[in-house]
Amino acid sequence: MGSARSNGPGPDAGPSGGDAAGDAAPVLAAHKILIAGGFGAGKTTLVGTISEVRPLLTEERLTTASTGLDDLRGVAGKTTTTVAMDFGRITISERLLLYLFGVPGQERFWFMWDELSYGALGAVVLADVRRLRDCFPSVNYFETRGLPFVVAINCFDDAPHYDPAEVRVALDLDPDVPAVLCDARNLESVKNVLITLVDSISSGASQLAAPRA
Amino acid sequence: MPPDGKWVRRDTGPVVRPYAVTGGRTQPAAGEVLDVVAVVVASERSTAATDDPLRQTPEHRKILRLCQRPVTVADIASDTALPVGVVRVLLADLILQQAVTVVRNRPTTAQLPGNDVLKEILNGLRAL
Repeated sequence: MGSARSNGPGPDAGPSGGDAAGDAAPVLAAHKILIAGGFGAGKTTLVGTISEVRPLLTEERLTTASTGLDDLRGVAGKTTTTVAMDFGRITISERLLLYLFGVPGQERFWFMWDELSYGALGAVVLADVRRLRDCFPSVNYFETRGLPFVVAINCFDDAPHYDPAEVRVALDLDPDVPAVLCDARNLESVKNVLITLVDSISSGASQLAAPRA
Repeated sequence: MPPDGKWVRRDTGPVVRPYAVTGGRTQPAAGEVLDVVAVVVASERSTAATDDPLRQTPEHRKILRLCQRPVTVADIASDTALPVGVVRVLLADLILQQAVTVVRNRPTTAQLPGNDVLKEILNGLRAL
């Protein structure tokens, strides 16, 4: 740390532009957080609120998505399923990146889950109280995998208000799984969701590391 | 998603079928499967390899340019507007040619980042 060297002209530099002192580059590490939840639960909004969002194309098989297969009740205006995955990057430091991947909740996309969840830090399950059952598969999935997750109840303006404790019961969450209210459009709120997740991961990790405590 | 249905992403749909740029190959030629957050970098020999038009397509060269400093597979896919699977195939070619090396593949499931890394992430999030 502490080197004041400029990083050079960046990735646009010509192919043989190379006097870049590549050896001295800091070792880059990147971590994944999955954003799951039912169709229309607010994954795209959440990712866009907190991170630098850029399009990320996934495999072509996703383009076979058909509007007829998706349940559009309560999400009028959402008429297509995007081929590009919700993908955001949070630059923690020049050598530490955090990536958010919105994983489509519909079952036909599950082939992506295994790959994305492998080695992931944890996950956020976005819940819409009007369609709570939509996030059952996500909750089941992360419970089965033992991947740390937090349930974030997205407070839509026109949705009834529920206490997180009620949602917790409805989802039959384990006591160590945090459930928080959130507004996917609000930066502080989304920050709180991710901080809650990382906090719960690190307390879980310290329990593993220091079982005698 | 804008209500007027306007296209906001220039690469919502490719004009050329995605795997055309890999010559129809959908599986990487060799090596371990790269995670979306695997970090790769161009190796020393990459400048020499760049000049071989028979072994490298424009997409290969584009990727190689992005690899001049350590970069993730996801960022390459995003910057090139190529699907992740296509980037994997092309990167495997470059790795076979020893033009690119893998700095760090995915973390293993069992291996959570240490508390110092988690703390750094927490501090970074709070500072947003």
